[in-house]
Amino acid sequence: MVVVDSDTTTILRVKGPLELKCQLDTTDAQLMRKVISRTFEDLRSQVKSESCVLAVCDSPVFIWPNKGVYATPEEISPTTPCEDIHQWIQTDEQESAGKRSAKKKSKKCLSASVINLRLMMEVTQPGPLSAPILSKTVQKSHFLTATLPMDCAVCTSCSDTIKDACERLLEALTHQLCEMEKVTLQHMRDTTVLVPEALHFLLPEPKGLVTVVYPAGASDSQLETQRKELHQQFELPDDRPYFRRANAYHFPNEPYKDGYLRNPHVVLTHPTLDNGKVYLVQGIYSYHHYMQDRMDDNGWGCAYRSLQTICSWFQQQGYVERPVPTHKEIQQALVDVGDKQTSFVGSRQWIGSIEVQAVLNQLLGITSKIMFVSQGSELASKGRELANHFLTEGTPIMIGGGVLAHTILGVTWSETTGQIRYLILDPHYTGAEDLQLITDKGWCGWKGPDFWDQTAYYNLCLPQRPKVI
Amino acid sequence: MGRGYIVEDAVEKYLSKLCEQLAGPVTGLLIGQSSAQRDFVVMAIRTPQREESTAAAGNSVDKELVTEHARQVSRMLPGGLSVLGVFIITDTDAKDTLTTLRQLVFAVENLISSEHLWNPADDDVTDCVTLHVNPKTRKTVCRTFDVKDPKSTAKPADWRYQSGVCSSWATVSCCLNVNLSVPLPDNKTSTESMDECLKEGLTVWAHQIESGVCLIDGKKLPEDSELTAGQRRNVRQTYTAQLLITPDGQRLTDVVQQCGGSVSVRGAIHSRAFLHSNKPKAKLAEKLLKRDVVSTVATRVHMLLEELLTSGEQDQGSSRDKQKTEQLCLPRRIFCPVKVTGPVCVSDYQFSDEGLPEVIDRLKEMLDIDAAEEDLDTRQEVAAEVIESNVTAEPTVETVKAPEAKKNNYIGVAMAAAAALLATAASMLYLNDI
Repeated sequence: MVVVDSDTTTILRVKGPLELKCQLDTTDAQLMRKVISRTFEDLRSQVKSESCVLAVCDSPVFIWPNKGVYATPEEISPTTPCEDIHQWIQTDEQESAGKRSAKKKSKKCLSASVINLRLMMEVTQPGPLSAPILSKTVQKSHFLTATLPMDCAVCTSCSDTIKDACERLLEALTHQLCEMEKVTLQHMRDTTVLVPEALHFLLPEPKGLVTVVYPAGASDSQLETQRKELHQQFELPDDRPYFRRANAYHFPNEPYKDGYLRNPHVVLTHPTLDNGKVYLVQGIYSYHHYMQDRMDDNGWGCAYRSLQTICSWFQQQGYVERPVPTHKEIQQALVDVGDKQTSFVGSRQWIGSIEVQAVLNQLLGITSKIMFVSQGSELASKGRELANHFLTEGTPIMIGGGVLAHTILGVTWSETTGQIRYLILDPHYTGAEDLQLITDKGWCGWKGPDFWDQTAYYNLCLPQRPKVI
Repeated sequence: MGRGYIVEDAVEKYLSKLCEQLAGPVTGLLIGQSSAQRDFVVMAIRTPQREESTAAAGNSVDKELVTEHARQVSRMLPGGLSVLGVFIITDTDAKDTLTTLRQLVFAVENLISSEHLWNPADDDVTDCVTLHVNPKTRKTVCRTFDVKDPKSTAKPADWRYQSGVCSSWATVSCCLNVNLSVPLPDNKTSTESMDECLKEGLTVWAHQIESGVCLIDGKKLPEDSELTAGQRRNVRQTYTAQLLITPDGQRLTDVVQQCGGSVSVRGAIHSRAFLHSNKPKAKLAEKLLKRDVVSTVATRVHMLLEELLTSGEQDQGSSRDKQKTEQLCLPRRIFCPVKVTGPVCVSDYQFSDEGLPEVIDRLKEMLDIDAAEEDLDTRQEVAAEVIESNVTAEPTVETVKAPEAKKNNYIGVAMAAAAALLATAASMLYLNDI
């Protein structure tokens, strides 16, 4: 596997549906499997044939990988470096289908850049050829029609040419078809066939980007055996999930449909302290704050929003499937555990860390530890505990005290000097999902120990990560 | 501001000749291409006679005949050519004639568009032309109707003759592989249900073609770029197209369904479209070529099934154990130039047991074209041949022969077929007549 190194790597991702169609005599299971295998073999031939075309999305570039890597426009040849393709891709700013001027290079992203390709088939070829034949087969049987959602990704370095990339993409496509065949045959029962789908997972270095084929519609709980095998295969710890559906790698240029910002903290420059180390939340969370979801909770909802951010972390890491709860659902959960009266639901009453702990337990089945400091100045001495939390649990922390609630996403702490900085995500922000503004104005930013009210007492809710895969 | 029709000189000569006939009113079709700015008429074709036509019938306009003729002609026009309207040569009162012409033009347009498997585009021209020629005075009255608007009224239009209207039209063509297969419902494997299933399958395939990527001479051109930009004017251009498709991403139907069998269409077709020479855009070339691809396949499938239905070929019923496979050859496409010079052609379909004389007869009867065998271009497609060894399992393979060639009245046969099928029958249209 190639390491996903953001400075030099381009990910080439090819997607495209392939039709799986065949007539099946369901009275003979052996024959059925043979027919399905043969149909997959036909698809593999298609992908290796001269009719296979890789179209670079949003560009006039088309590549025939099996025809000597012939490409149009004619400026592109098999020895052209992959990186050059970027110049041909239209962004929203331009209309022309030509090359972008050298000045307008794309913004440097912090994560690897992605080139999207579409798998297509050319149906034309030089003639003359034989006119069509209509073939009618009469036989009581079954007909299988499925669409295989091919999705392969390969990482290339700056020295790779288009020819290299095509070779790897074709290999990936063929391999994926084999995996899909295996999964289809494995999960076939009588007349039910589960269509396979491909998901990509970003594993810790040096393993990098890995693609796994799962049967569509099978839930995470049904796939536990597969995940166990994968953890063994890739030598991954068996106490945290890497292969749940929610863990699927989110490609940098794919927008999130729900509109929330993800991990705004990654664009920040972390503070440098003498002998200081940075300890951060692990994984992906969404930024929840005042006024979102058309809910006007300005002035009272900060703890609710912090709780939502925490819930989003558990959902996106694959520990729970439940979507982020609304204010009402949070309030109802507290009524359900007997912590509040029924009149609480629909009110604008504040909640604190204890309530956050209760709701995480009630709705998500998550346990949390509570840390108490009798005055804000004491927080400066909690460096070791906070660092350890981010190391072992890696979950966002909700902190409530005085009249405010915040989320702590990390600390920079020096063991020798004791200096500490806190990475704070502020739920009191009322504006739009503008990453620039949010980071410039410090709504997500590093704060010093003077950020806390030095005399107020604080409670921290530290959610514990379940040790499962 | 009315439309302007630029008409080939040959059409004027043709209409003049028809004026010299003494028997009753003469109707016919006007063939060409419409564009936003201008319309071009390339051919005029008189309505053929039915075999049993009597002197009495010759005095009134046979609306069913005109519309059925239009349907048949439309199937013989490659991309870029279409039935633009109807003409009538009669000394009857202008107002009555206009009413008749209006009825005809709506009926013709409705019938032809009912066979289309593509969606109308926003930039399609929906005006049709009617031409009334008085045989004694030779006066012509040209009006257009918007066939998208059932209440539309006649608008005046310009009718101007010119020589060499299509002599520098561009040609875009390709040879395309078709590979479709659809299941047949359980216990319903008759030709009628095969027709229905194929129509569904063809619609899905047509959508794939419509959304496919079109490369012209190996390049993806921006939609609004001029096709002939940078080329010398008045020099005939030919372009080769390539089509790239992907299957639909979403699948809404069941993955495995019960069936009584399946039917497939596999092979290659040659597709061609003609573009007017007034700065045609790449978008137009793509649209016209794709429509021709879809209609040439759909037409041939219809023709084959129509033959099966009218010749009473019935399926022997499905059986649980035996697998029966029939293979039928779709006819191959043959092109014939409209004029001795000029790129524009019409096409016909030749079944495997027909010879070129039958094709020539049909070209004469349907399109009133006098062609000789050496004028025909038979090199674009190879006639399909059924290969016995292709068949699986049971040796009970029956190759149903294409129906026998008919030397006589093709339009009569077509009328009978239309009546037998009760398919969007001309009579149905008159029930909706305005």
